[in-house]
Amino acid sequence: MNAKTSAKSVGTNSKTTMGNPYHNKTAQWIAYTLFFLALAAIPFNVDDDFLLNQLATYGVYGMLALSISLCWGFGGILNLGQGIAFGLGAYGMAMTMQMQTQTAENPVPPIMLNNGLDYLPFLWWPFQNTVSGLIFAVGIPTLFCAVFGRIMFKARVSGAFFAIMTLAMLSAFYTIILDQQAYTGGVNGITPPSPLQLGSFQIDPYSPAAYWTVFFALLIATVIAKLITQSSFGLVTQAIRDDAERVRFLGYSVSSYETTIYTISGLIAAVAGCLWVMVVQYVSPAQLDVGLSISMVIWAAIGGRMSLLWAIIGAFLIQGGQSYLGDAFLSTWLLILGGFFIIVVRFLPNGLASLVEAGLGMLARKPKETSFREPSGVKPVPSE
Amino acid sequence: MDFGSVLNALILGVSIASIWLIAALGLTIIYGAAGVINMAHGALIMLGAYSSYMLQHYIGVPYLLCIPASFVIVAIIGLVLERGLIQYLYDRPLDTLLATYGVSLVLVQGVRLIFGSDPKYLAVPEIFSSNISLGFANISTFRVVVIAVTALLVLALWILFYKTRFGIQVRAVMQNKEMAASFGINSSRIYMMTFALGAGLAGVAGSLFGVLNIVLPTMGDSYVVQAFLMVVAGGGTLAGTVIASGFTGELQSVFAFITNDTFARFVIFLLIVVFLRFRPQGLFAKGGVRR
Repeated sequence: MNAKTSAKSVGTNSKTTMGNPYHNKTAQWIAYTLFFLALAAIPFNVDDDFLLNQLATYGVYGMLALSISLCWGFGGILNLGQGIAFGLGAYGMAMTMQMQTQTAENPVPPIMLNNGLDYLPFLWWPFQNTVSGLIFAVGIPTLFCAVFGRIMFKARVSGAFFAIMTLAMLSAFYTIILDQQAYTGGVNGITPPSPLQLGSFQIDPYSPAAYWTVFFALLIATVIAKLITQSSFGLVTQAIRDDAERVRFLGYSVSSYETTIYTISGLIAAVAGCLWVMVVQYVSPAQLDVGLSISMVIWAAIGGRMSLLWAIIGAFLIQGGQSYLGDAFLSTWLLILGGFFIIVVRFLPNGLASLVEAGLGMLARKPKETSFREPSGVKPVPSE
Repeated sequence: MDFGSVLNALILGVSIASIWLIAALGLTIIYGAAGVINMAHGALIMLGAYSSYMLQHYIGVPYLLCIPASFVIVAIIGLVLERGLIQYLYDRPLDTLLATYGVSLVLVQGVRLIFGSDPKYLAVPEIFSSNISLGFANISTFRVVVIAVTALLVLALWILFYKTRFGIQVRAVMQNKEMAASFGINSSRIYMMTFALGAGLAGVAGSLFGVLNIVLPTMGDSYVVQAFLMVVAGGGTLAGTVIASGFTGELQSVFAFITNDTFARFVIFLLIVVFLRFRPQGLFAKGGVRR
């Protein structure tokens, strides 16, 4: 897959740089560029509309892994409830797309009529207009993350405790969406009858247009996330990850930094949710399932949570593996995934990326000064 | 809303509380003693139900004997799990959470491969399948059995932790591992024992839940999150978990009486999150340990 080609390109790159190229900023940007060039080459080589659509969903999964990597790998905040932002974004988008197909004579979607609701509920009003619908679809989950993060981090809830809290919130949202059938479609969710209409342009999920939309969203999110991690703000969040107490003593407002990185991560996940519905034209409470949210963490963990690029690759590898190997191994796939995950957590806390890091380090053989990101030899300990 | 149905809701609340409590007991022991977030707890509950099913179905062990037998079987599985994986991860709490989730994936899928996805049923003695009527309140006999088993287990655990040498050692390790070790307590062995004990309790819960619900590979998943909430709301202590479960069980029952089951659950989860915002250490925090 494309992931492997990019891994190779990282390898060939190593001879031109000094020290471990894994830590070299320029080399990192080159690797990112090659990775996205490889992704951009796909639509020119793939004729199969179905495959292109599937690859677009992988792009969405990549964005989710990226958001987890940003929040967990760089911020030290293990978020098991990323499905909240993803799911709310997805529902917002589905509602917008549903309302696009409703006309003035027929303003109420069938899911409500089927559940005995003959007027459009207040909750759906903002989604009657496409622009405001999209703003709300991304805005509401982001606002939720900002408020929830603020409340939790102000109370100095962190580490595993925060993970449990996000899990509880996720379960709460899942339950309420399942319960309010007339507003959300219950267990069946919402299936907008036609693709997303932007002005006079329609984004057909099975066209290259959908792939390009996801591609550029992933590209922009990755570049922004990468710039954040290299900024002084990103430096402080990484310091908080390694020792929050020490950063607090230095006079930083730890909770503000944590809230910000958590909110940015939620924003990315919300956009991913919107794109997901654009690509699959469907949303259901399954998008807020605990299993999916933990899967996002697994993608980032197996790829390498300390590397944005490798988190994305992790999502590609596992979801690709699930689609292609899953058929071959059928029922044993989850067994393999679970076992692989245990091994990664036990022996490779920084995922496959650490293998690449070690490999490149051996190739370079001249360990010079290392960048701030990962001092060689010292395994960053997850904060508690 | 008459008095009789409110009383009925309250009695049902005790039953719900006992279910939440017995699901959370094992987690409390493991989280309280070793600080391990055991995401495989749901899978261990499921294993308890399946071991009861196997004993009953293939060997013909009477149901009441299946309960202690499930305890032993799942405790041994927990022991193997602790020695094979968890013991290397004690200083990495987030990683134990993830690793145990991996374990639960493996266990659930393994059971699905062996037993298939179709539901299994546990048979109980005739007398458990009737109803007890207390004037206007009505409750099934088996729910009373669950309440009784839960009460017995809480009593047994209280005696174990507060009246025996082992209990003193566990509490010493909980408070300060290094200090306890320097007094000659083998903390690694204590962790191993508590993990096995916690797993065994999950096994008991499983063999009871297998009767309340059907036995499925995924049956444990729904208990994990709420069991965790009981543990963290209680502060990781036995008394805390008991009170947290009692309180939320009653609330759940009353809210469900007013609205419906799912909405009640939503309200409970929100209330717990709000409660933990103001009291992150839970009801009864462990002495001298700063989170």
